[in-house]
Amino acid sequence: MTRPIIGGTCFALITIAASAWSRGAIDPTAAALVARLARPAPAVTQFVEVRFSSLLATPLVTSGQLRYLGPDRLERSVEGPFCEVTTIQGDGVTVAREGEPHVRLSLSRVPVLQAMLSSIGALLAGDSSSLERHFVTTLHGNNSRWQLVLTPADPRVRTTLTEIQVDGSHDEPRCFTLREPDGDASVIVIGDAVPHDLPEPLDRASLDTLCQEGP
Amino acid sequence: MRPLPQWVLLSCWLLLIGLLGYYVQRELVVGADLRLFLPAPTTRQQELLLEEVGRGPASRLLLIKIEGSDQLTLARISQSLTAILQDKQQFRFIANGDIGLADLPEILLSYRYLLSPTFDTRHMDADFLATELRRRLRDLASPAAILIEQLVQKDPTLETLRLAQLWQPAQEPQRIYDVWFSQRGDAVLLLAETAAAGFDPGAQQAAMEAIERAFRQARGAIAAHMTVTGAGAFSVMMKDRTERDAMLIGIVDSVAMVLLLIVAYRSARSVVLGILPLLSGGIAGLAAVGGYYGDVHGITLAFGFTLIGVAQDYPIHLLSHQHRGVTPLDTARKIWPTLATGVASTCIAYLAFLVSGVTGLAQLAVFAITGLAVAGVTTRVLLPRMMSTDARDCGDSAWLERLWNELADFPRPGWLTSAAVLASIAVIELAPQPLWENDLGALTPVPQDVLQVDAQLRSELGAPDMRYLLVVSGASAEEVLQRCEALAPRLDTLVTQGALSSFTHPAQFLPTVATQERRRGALPKPQQLREALAQAINGTAFRPGVFEPFVADVERARNLHPLTPHVLAGTPLGPRVESLLSERNGGWTGLIPLGGVHDSETLAALAANADSDIVLLDLKVASEELVAHQRQRILATLGVAALLLAVVVGMALRSVPRALRVLRPMALTTLLVVAVLHGTGSALNLFHIIALVLAAGLGLDYALFFEHAADDPLEQRRTLHAVIVCSLATFAVFAMLAVSSLPVLRGIGVTVTLGVLGNFFLALILTRPHTRRR
Repeated sequence: MTRPIIGGTCFALITIAASAWSRGAIDPTAAALVARLARPAPAVTQFVEVRFSSLLATPLVTSGQLRYLGPDRLERSVEGPFCEVTTIQGDGVTVAREGEPHVRLSLSRVPVLQAMLSSIGALLAGDSSSLERHFVTTLHGNNSRWQLVLTPADPRVRTTLTEIQVDGSHDEPRCFTLREPDGDASVIVIGDAVPHDLPEPLDRASLDTLCQEGP
Repeated sequence: MRPLPQWVLLSCWLLLIGLLGYYVQRELVVGADLRLFLPAPTTRQQELLLEEVGRGPASRLLLIKIEGSDQLTLARISQSLTAILQDKQQFRFIANGDIGLADLPEILLSYRYLLSPTFDTRHMDADFLATELRRRLRDLASPAAILIEQLVQKDPTLETLRLAQLWQPAQEPQRIYDVWFSQRGDAVLLLAETAAAGFDPGAQQAAMEAIERAFRQARGAIAAHMTVTGAGAFSVMMKDRTERDAMLIGIVDSVAMVLLLIVAYRSARSVVLGILPLLSGGIAGLAAVGGYYGDVHGITLAFGFTLIGVAQDYPIHLLSHQHRGVTPLDTARKIWPTLATGVASTCIAYLAFLVSGVTGLAQLAVFAITGLAVAGVTTRVLLPRMMSTDARDCGDSAWLERLWNELADFPRPGWLTSAAVLASIAVIELAPQPLWENDLGALTPVPQDVLQVDAQLRSELGAPDMRYLLVVSGASAEEVLQRCEALAPRLDTLVTQGALSSFTHPAQFLPTVATQERRRGALPKPQQLREALAQAINGTAFRPGVFEPFVADVERARNLHPLTPHVLAGTPLGPRVESLLSERNGGWTGLIPLGGVHDSETLAALAANADSDIVLLDLKVASEELVAHQRQRILATLGVAALLLAVVVGMALRSVPRALRVLRPMALTTLLVVAVLHGTGSALNLFHIIALVLAAGLGLDYALFFEHAADDPLEQRRTLHAVIVCSLATFAVFAMLAVSSLPVLRGIGVTVTLGVLGNFFLALILTRPHTRRR
């Protein structure tokens, strides 16, 4: 009977300690970096997303534009190999796909999606406090080649999303790498880092190189 | 007087009444099953109606609308309201539009290939799989990939999702943030089916309270507003209003009654004694019904207490006739023949109700006969022993003497009776509206604005119409399901043609065994499926062999026994199917609720052409027929009761002319009241009839006492005093009801008020003895 309670208490302590630590010991440059990443809305950037899944023999590639329309509004518009527009506004997501009725989701019901999408939004807004609400942040590297690792604060989210790694140089984030516990991952390359041709062979290693060193 | 025995007697009496009251309180169950009050059905339609009244899904449905905040907040309230109500016993299901894939139980998940119609029209072959896999790749490339990735391996064609959609209402509102929203997008919509029948106001009240509580909890500090409509919500609302009105009127009436008794007798003791007979009679009546039937219908109570209202007059007659110089016992002995004639003739008349063949009316008879008899005995036995001997003489009053003398000059027009009869018949014949009201709904009308909200919600939610319903019968569940499956495509055609907008049928949730076996037979063997999958995967990004869990699920489905109502009963889908498909009297019945019926004739023709096992039930017409049938029966019973009454009065008075003198005012008043009600635009209903019976009972007593008044002028004035107090008391009580906003209460009030006026004056004119002028 007492075990879950003790377990729960320990867990809560760890969580509190972790967040206190992250808040107290956060590399001041992490917050500074996030602030530097802020873009005035509207900002538009192209993206390529590569999805690695245990279901897939070859990774799935989609490309299009990310439109940052303000602190609470982000649009992911897929242009190839099919068309689809996902709009995130506040707590709601609308997915519009050609030939199908719009789907609207509430982000708070899908915490993993909320964490994922809000991280991108928060980075584009330069909003480090919003980022800290959802993640424990750690910063590695130097000004010309940095790596920000975001670990979900919510344990429910961690069952489907292990971490988000953001690679960048100076004021430019290059890649978002989303890692899942089962080894699946998505790599989203944005902005000037999007290459004309994707590296061959298209695997995790070649994308890592692209994210860290640029095109 | 000896005070001790008086108080001992009173204590014993009160103790007895108290014990009876305790028994009633403990043992008596107040039922609300309308069927108790309806006669045996004579047609198939009526038979179905009576079954439907007890358990129809449409009458159990509550429609919920929540508005007053932004869409996301409303969606969140909708989700938490559903989560709270989901586990409550009071509801068979609650739906807010959210298709919770995670909620699908394992047993239904494994049956998905037997339940889903997807492969009725196409094979699970390479072509189909290739199309589906291409769609899944897009899903995997979307931000939601993370959510469906695990499902895709087991269920690449998303059959689970299709099933969940199949179980949603046929015509759905728009879905925003996973839940149903109104067309304007400003309100979330939910459906709840209660476990209790719609006519059961007690259980519906509990369900409504559960919804209210859940809403307050789900809403928290947000200023959202909820509206609930549906048969159950209406019955609770109208019950509340009726009770509130009746309670208010009851309080005002009690005060008026006590004041009247104080003014009339100027003694607190008389007031207390004046209440005892009715109280004793009421409790004894309840105990008798409880002991004999075990339960009592709410309507029996309402009608019963109306009928035994006559008993309020008994102590008044005794109190008014008591005067100095005689003992109360002598007074009681003196008025007893007249009083007893009234009590006995009324009781004997109600015997007719006992053999009416309608349980509710028989209960009413037991209640009224016991109540009146006990009230009579209380007046004769208890009251005289409790009264003070030196009461003031009610006949000793100057203004009563003046009044009586003036009344003596009153003309006694012989032509009056014939003229009144002719005029009444003319009015009744000429009035434009039908004499009888068959629509029970007209008795407790739901406010128009609430009805509008209900109609709008009903159309937005695609909820079934309250009026039309297809009923499918068969020897077995399978036979009923087969008939439903055969009927569905024809109904689909009618939906396209616009005859109706939606329908729900049991086979939609539970296909026939035959269909399930056919689907099972059409599923590919593992090797076949692997080959088709390999072909479909070829050229896509999917890894070969990744769909082995899917192959295993299909193979498991190939070995399942078809799902039956019995197996389904334990699953979350069980209650949904039970409300549409059930076993009764050895046979099975399936219900097909219809939504937005525009062309009932086409539907009737469809049912008529199908076969005799499919019936289009028009609840409105069937219930009106039933009400008309019931009324004929009650009127016939009352006819017999009237004859019995006349015979008893004739025997008691031992003279036909005297009996006629007593009966004439009462008969004429009844006719006049009917004429006035009808002439002023009312159609009569059961409540009017009961009220007329009460008025007639009062009239009989007035006439009996007037007829019996002796030559002694003081005694005559005492009788006049008694009848004036009686009629004033009744008048005051029912005049309050007559101004109620509720048609039921107003109907009873107006009828009795008119009846008291008519009976009082007609008894004065037609029955009053000839007085010698002095």
